[in-house]
Amino acid sequence: MVATEQARVATARVSRAGQNALAAAVALLIVMTPALTTADDLNSDINRLKAQVADLAGELYALEESILHPADTQVAVFLTLARKDVLELDSIELFVNDTPVSSHLYTDRERQSLQQGGVQQLYLGNVPHGEHELRAVLTARTGNDRYIRREAEHRFQKRPGESRIQLSLDARAPDYEPRFLFSEWK
Amino acid sequence: MDADVRMSRSFVRNVRFALVAVGVLTVCGQNVAFAGNATEVARMAALAQFDLAAGKPRLALARTEGSQGESVAWQRARALMGTGQVVRARDLLERQLQGQTHRGDAALILGRIANSEGDAAGASRYFDTAARLGFGETRQQALYELAALKLGADDPDAAGQLLAKMEPGYWAALGYMNLAGVYSIRDLNAARPLVALRVALAMSEQDAMGERSASLRSQLLVRVGYLSYLQEDHEKAIGFFEQVPLNSYHMPRALYLHGLALAARDNHRAAMQSWHRARKYPLAYPGVEDAWLGMGRGYDLSGYLGQAGEAYLAANASYESERVTLKKLAARIEADGAWKALILDARGSDAQWFLADSRTLTQPRMAYLLQFMESSVAQEAVSRVSELVDLKLYLAEKQQNLIVWKTSLRERLATDPGSAGMRWAGLADRAETLREQVQALAQRQGAKSVPDELSNTAETLSAVENALNALEQRLAKRDAQIAALVRRADAALTNIQSLSSQVAKLQERAESSLDRVALTFVSDQDKRMAFALDKTEQQIAHLYEYLALEALERGGQ
Repeated sequence: MVATEQARVATARVSRAGQNALAAAVALLIVMTPALTTADDLNSDINRLKAQVADLAGELYALEESILHPADTQVAVFLTLARKDVLELDSIELFVNDTPVSSHLYTDRERQSLQQGGVQQLYLGNVPHGEHELRAVLTARTGNDRYIRREAEHRFQKRPGESRIQLSLDARAPDYEPRFLFSEWK
Repeated sequence: MDADVRMSRSFVRNVRFALVAVGVLTVCGQNVAFAGNATEVARMAALAQFDLAAGKPRLALARTEGSQGESVAWQRARALMGTGQVVRARDLLERQLQGQTHRGDAALILGRIANSEGDAAGASRYFDTAARLGFGETRQQALYELAALKLGADDPDAAGQLLAKMEPGYWAALGYMNLAGVYSIRDLNAARPLVALRVALAMSEQDAMGERSASLRSQLLVRVGYLSYLQEDHEKAIGFFEQVPLNSYHMPRALYLHGLALAARDNHRAAMQSWHRARKYPLAYPGVEDAWLGMGRGYDLSGYLGQAGEAYLAANASYESERVTLKKLAARIEADGAWKALILDARGSDAQWFLADSRTLTQPRMAYLLQFMESSVAQEAVSRVSELVDLKLYLAEKQQNLIVWKTSLRERLATDPGSAGMRWAGLADRAETLREQVQALAQRQGAKSVPDELSNTAETLSAVENALNALEQRLAKRDAQIAALVRRADAALTNIQSLSSQVAKLQERAESSLDRVALTFVSDQDKRMAFALDKTEQQIAHLYEYLALEALERGGQ
């Protein structure tokens, strides 16, 4: 009889303890829920804003092209790698008619992107019709682990309409000497 | 011939001059309109791919606007994810999943979206698809995510089976490290976690990417060393700790544990050398406050009670000083906000870049920042503010550009096109003269082929003549075109102003959220220091008690 009573009291204690724990958990949830909701609200508000800014960026991109780079005088230079793993680019500088117009230091992700077929827009600007000179200065680590600096020049004729020049870099075994291949996108 | 060439060169200069003049008069042209053919689409996709790698998702999004095709859609989906447009990205990713390329990659991102939304079942389905369709790193990441889901569901055996399917490398090592964490919580002894960590160590050696691999390896070495120490395999523990690189973030903890393992082998002198080295690091790092205590304990066990007392007092002073630093940091967070007090100011500006690496680990504020950033809540809070600061800077830059362009366009509107008309007549005459000279030079060549330079010049001159012929027509449209551009710039400026005010409001909210997280962190650090202070005070009390009893005993004799 005493044992039964003790068991009942113990059960009641456990039950009270359980209720207390449940109450504490509910209280904790009540306390935490506004904080979580606020963080979620803030995240979704930020995402909405980022989407609006991205839309604006599209509009600005088009406007910038219209204002700054009229098609008739526009020249764009793009860089690609002709083959994977032959050159690990460190930096590139670009000169148009001996004026420096662009330079870039590469991150690992950018190098990887180029190796996977990515194309970099090195320069977008304006030049008058006629003949111009493009000079590229490159520093890179070659496939045979040499650190090199090479320059290449290319003369091009700026014609009416946009001019898009592709600089493709290649190097082949055994010397892995870089080759600069210039071509125009039709 | 030389004279001809000289003449040609001066002629080219004349043509260039004429062209520059035409360029000045030319009204802004048309937007670049890329044809929708396959080559163009592939080019746009490749350009967007590089933009994304360069951290410019907004530019990638602008480039891929309106382009069709799977490769470009994939880059667009990534750009949408990068600009926070998850809903729009999800539609594209679902379509990608039904297509021919990047199916595994799309499934992996969809799985992560589902996971972040708390849909574990959906996430599991997508990760499963990614593991099936993907290859290389994508497949490894998908398997890792699946294993993480199993660990989250408290099913380490299923997680272990998935990890067993993975290729050795970073993701497998990370998976085994998580598995060891779950085993550590469930098991009473360290046997299973130790095995999992040793597998993780072996897996991490196969990772080709240097920095992440080195960081993970340091973390694994500390963990496996600690478990070996718990297993009382002190020799192995010491071996693991000694492999942790000196410049690693985990070095202070490794030094403390190294000392602990040496002390367990009664090599107190060597242990104290390790703790002495650990004491050089800021107290923010785990293990450093214990190393201060360890010095006192080391002297005590070696029988140098006087030095032990001094070491405990030094530890006490350093903890108290750290509490003052923490109070100041909390006050600065309250006054200036955590973004400035903890994040921006931690960068410092007085050190040269080549010292930055070695400086990082020894700067107290940087140490607190690194410690703070270990928590995912802190990472999220900081990333929110950082994104908004980035948006603010972007909008400010674009606003400035637009104001300059608008001024320039208005100035152009104010110029009289009539003067251009007058100059046109003069230019047309010069072009005519130049044309005659070109023809004369070409005739002088006779049967010989015309040099490239001359034919290029003729081509340029023809372009000039065409431009001059079209000039009148273009001048007629000039004002309307410029006015349209000004209107577009005005609309964009209004849009920027509205977005900037939204950014400011959201930044305020994000910063106050970050302040709360940072103040909680600082308060936790203060509690840690208070606890360490209690421990040294107890040690000092025990030491004085012992010395008093000794003195009493000596007095009794």
